Amino acid sequence: MRQEKKAMLLRWSCQFKKGGEVPTPLEIIKKKRAEAINRIISKGFLSSKRVYVGMATCEIAAGSVEVMEVFQEAIRSGLSDVYLSQKGCAGRCNLEPTVEVVEEGKIPLKYGLVTKEKAKEIIERHLKKGEVIKEWLIK
Amino acid sequence: MPVRFNITLCDGPSCIHKRSKEIVSTIEGELKKHGLSDKVGINLSGCLGMCSKGPVMIINPGYTIYGAFAEEDIPEIIQQHILKKKQVSRFIIDEDHLYNRFFRVFGDVNFFGKQMRIALRNCGIIDPENIDDYISLRGYEAMAKVLTDMSPEKVISEIKKSGLRGRGGAGFPTGIKWELTAKEKSDEKYVICNADEGDPGAFMDRSAIEGDPHTIVEGMVIAGFAIGAKKGIVYIRAEYPLAVKRIKKAITDARKDGFLGENILGSNFNFDIEVRLGAGAFVCGEETALMLSIEGHRGMPRPRPPFPSVSGLFGKPTLINNVETWANIPVIILDGADWFSSLGTEKSKGTKVFALAGKVKNTGLVEVPMGTTLRQIIYNIGGGIPGDKKFKAVQTGGPSGGCLSEEYLDTKIDYESLAKVGSIMGSGGMIVIDEDSCMVNIAKFFLEFTQNESCGKCTPCREGTKRMLEILTRITEGKGVEEDIDKLQRLGNMIKKASLCGLGQSAPNPVLSTIKNFRSEYEEHVRNKRCRAGVCHQLLVYEITDKCVGCAACKKACPAEAISGAPKTKHIIDINKCVKCGVCFKICKFNAIRKS
Repeated sequence: MRQEKKAMLLRWSCQFKKGGEVPTPLEIIKKKRAEAINRIISKGFLSSKRVYVGMATCEIAAGSVEVMEVFQEAIRSGLSDVYLSQKGCAGRCNLEPTVEVVEEGKIPLKYGLVTKEKAKEIIERHLKKGEVIKEWLIK
Repeated sequence: MPVRFNITLCDGPSCIHKRSKEIVSTIEGELKKHGLSDKVGINLSGCLGMCSKGPVMIINPGYTIYGAFAEEDIPEIIQQHILKKKQVSRFIIDEDHLYNRFFRVFGDVNFFGKQMRIALRNCGIIDPENIDDYISLRGYEAMAKVLTDMSPEKVISEIKKSGLRGRGGAGFPTGIKWELTAKEKSDEKYVICNADEGDPGAFMDRSAIEGDPHTIVEGMVIAGFAIGAKKGIVYIRAEYPLAVKRIKKAITDARKDGFLGENILGSNFNFDIEVRLGAGAFVCGEETALMLSIEGHRGMPRPRPPFPSVSGLFGKPTLINNVETWANIPVIILDGADWFSSLGTEKSKGTKVFALAGKVKNTGLVEVPMGTTLRQIIYNIGGGIPGDKKFKAVQTGGPSGGCLSEEYLDTKIDYESLAKVGSIMGSGGMIVIDEDSCMVNIAKFFLEFTQNESCGKCTPCREGTKRMLEILTRITEGKGVEEDIDKLQRLGNMIKKASLCGLGQSAPNPVLSTIKNFRSEYEEHVRNKRCRAGVCHQLLVYEITDKCVGCAACKKACPAEAISGAPKTKHIIDINKCVKCGVCFKICKFNAIRKS
């Protein structure tokens, strides 16, 4: 117990040397979390639709780079209110490339075996017109 | 129109006792009554980790968790939540486990819903190259908690209490390893992450690093604090360029944001990590060979004691753990060692990631609590064998593991039970084999790999595996003799007992387990010169059937001139001249050639 107290005092001694209130790591991380969330929101996280394209080795081997480019091109050409991001491997290997479309208040939809052509359809039918393409969903 | 709601009911071992199956039918009845059957999906999940509050039900979207309700309460919950969109607060569980995030997105898909993603909790739901994503999901909070509120001794006692065992394969209790390294007095200590992952077909560690590299950084900093180290090294194989890129970026970003380097998060703890690349030697996944490799020497194992915790890298106390072990550390700190040890079996706590591959419908990464049976993984999660073929065997643990036949499908997965049936947990590879594969050939394939990767230092491994491989090759070529099978067993047992490191000690496992479980196939190869799966091509016999129209295409194609016959009459293959190349079989347009 003495050892523990000694260790903790040693850790906080640097605070008193600097003088004034120095925040604890837990307080710092809470602040950093708020800042991180702000940064994410400013990039468009609160858009009505969030699209995640898988970009780990399995996905890239299955062709997800061109799928990502289709979505990026759509955003460049004016597709609005969509937050596009990459994600790691969810682990459903033989259905790659996968694309998730997340909307607030709805169950996240996971499309599998997405090709360049299917990505274009998803943009036209789902993102622009709100139609869910049931046959391509992972069940 | 897809379902608007999804109800996931926990079907874990303790919830089944609370009659989860009856609850499903009550729910279905209630939905039918209100005409909601096609608007609401129901699926059963694996253990959701809230066993004391069972039965547990999660309604999505919104991820509302209901627990500790009775069957009579179900109509109320359905009517309030689904029809009136109002939650029934007295049953709500407000537990915010780190693994909940993954479930929120993927829980309604059967493959994912039945898993319990702890080590892979963020893989698939965050951008691995963006540290903000990780921080927003409580990333680095475990590290902050350790630096604020905990002493090194408290951290170690938490890890010990959790019961976490090394996920690299040996299953040594992690907390004890940390304690032993912390005990040593030294000016310098090291923390190493073993990301070598040499097992062919294993990709758990790669996916973990490519999907969520920051969790490893966080785990290592926590360990550095606990044992008194200032330097960490991630040893990752160069064959994983994307994983290397992402872990390097994670380290750079963490350093920039104050999570690595001097005075981490304002405390007076310093820790930094560097990345070292492996050059492709399977043996360098072994901890002593790995450390020699980092030092610049040839990667060869050495006897232990002294253990790395006493004298490791550059002779200093070193803590070396596998990627998956590191990924579990932040969860133990934040969600609690008590909760973690409530998952799994008595001696193996927590979850394990398996790379399910081979002849199974749903391949991929499967993370389940220890104690799940092989049958549940292969059939419930994996979807069973494609093409209506019969299950033959499952190989666990990569090239060091054993092949288990159908009678072992109900084995509960944990370190001890797998070892008892002749296999090992290993790092988590799980390859499913169907009736179209030859067990002798599979044993030969794995032995070829381990023989190739043997470092050559000790005689049992260097010479023994070579001789075993020679015997196996002869058997698959139809030149086996009766004593071969017993010789393989004797050699195998000797190599297991006398080898210096884990590579040699486990290299004979595929051979020994296939002889034990599939002895009849070996005997067929040796006595009858027959391969029942039709794989060992030297043992195949090609014959021309009555479907032959005499087109002579095969005769022209045969490189050994073994086919004879007049035009428009049935041709014949001379078995003595046939070299079994299979060209005639491929060329025949009338399916007139049969191989058996």
